[in-house]
Amino acid sequence: MDQKEFEKYFCTDKHREFSTDFFSDAEAYEVWEEIDFSNLAEVEGENTFTITADDARFFAEASLFSHPMMTDEGYARQSDYGRLFIHPIFITSIIFWCVGTKGRGNWIRTPGARNPGQSCIFHEYLQVGETIHIKMKPHDRFIKRGKYYLQYKVDLYNQDNVLKVETFTTLILPRDREGIRKFLRGERGLDD
Amino acid sequence: MEKLTFDSVSAGDPLPEIVRTVDQETFWKFAVASFDYNPVHCDQKWVETARPFTLTTTVGHGMMTASFMTDVVLAWMLPTVLTIRKASVKFTFPVMPGWTVTSRGTVAEKHVIAKGKNFVVLHVEAVNQDGMKVGLSEFSVAFPD
Repeated sequence: MDQKEFEKYFCTDKHREFSTDFFSDAEAYEVWEEIDFSNLAEVEGENTFTITADDARFFAEASLFSHPMMTDEGYARQSDYGRLFIHPIFITSIIFWCVGTKGRGNWIRTPGARNPGQSCIFHEYLQVGETIHIKMKPHDRFIKRGKYYLQYKVDLYNQDNVLKVETFTTLILPRDREGIRKFLRGERGLDD
Repeated sequence: MEKLTFDSVSAGDPLPEIVRTVDQETFWKFAVASFDYNPVHCDQKWVETARPFTLTTTVGHGMMTASFMTDVVLAWMLPTVLTIRKASVKFTFPVMPGWTVTSRGTVAEKHVIAKGKNFVVLHVEAVNQDGMKVGLSEFSVAFPD
């Protein structure tokens, strides 16, 4: 699908800036069998994410839950919480944004990757105005019922280096680079 | 709206049901919101041959289903903002365009520890219009009281 097709949905600068093409950098994506588990050093993502009220509102609306605590700053200010509440699953947007395309963790962009489930620990809710960066490292790689699972520990921190959320980001991936190339050609790149 | 307190909650309490009907527009908009443009969600032509799920149709993002299940928790607690400490979600079948997903749950456990440390465990599942399970999840939610 062409980026132009998505443009009618864009409402923030980040939407306009982010590449919707998951194919163009695919040769640089990390591959299941090539992940170096001898190097468990934590690395930072390519980008940081400064959260705006529009980001929070758009995510709530896109997930079809427009509670005024998430979409109406006036309403939220009058509540005991006193500010917009950011949907907990918004961490997905932050991770895709922060990982980027060139460095570690870019395997989350693999065309054809499947999501088996996720888990996370929230230390503090995200807030409008915070600038979030991520730190990540390989956590696990396993085979289950013929499927190849890769898991990274991806943690979200704010501008003061306060740990906000810990995640165990997991996907089912093609085993090797040829699997990715098959997907790029529009062929099935998974074995199961 | 009445403020949600630890005393007002009992193990076995049902949570609000959330019903969402989705289509390709839903997937495209969620792709924009989440920055997850995997073609399995967005590109019907590509999916017909690439078939990551062996299906020949696009499917919704797993995190869209996760959002629906989380919305059960949010609909239960908001405008009271309790602290979701942990969330764990599993996707048991991909959601296809045109499906209606119902998410529902219960207060599975009430942990009575001490003021400021009390929490509940919520179990939430998502099913399609035929009752087929598409997602399972568990949330730990802490109370200030």
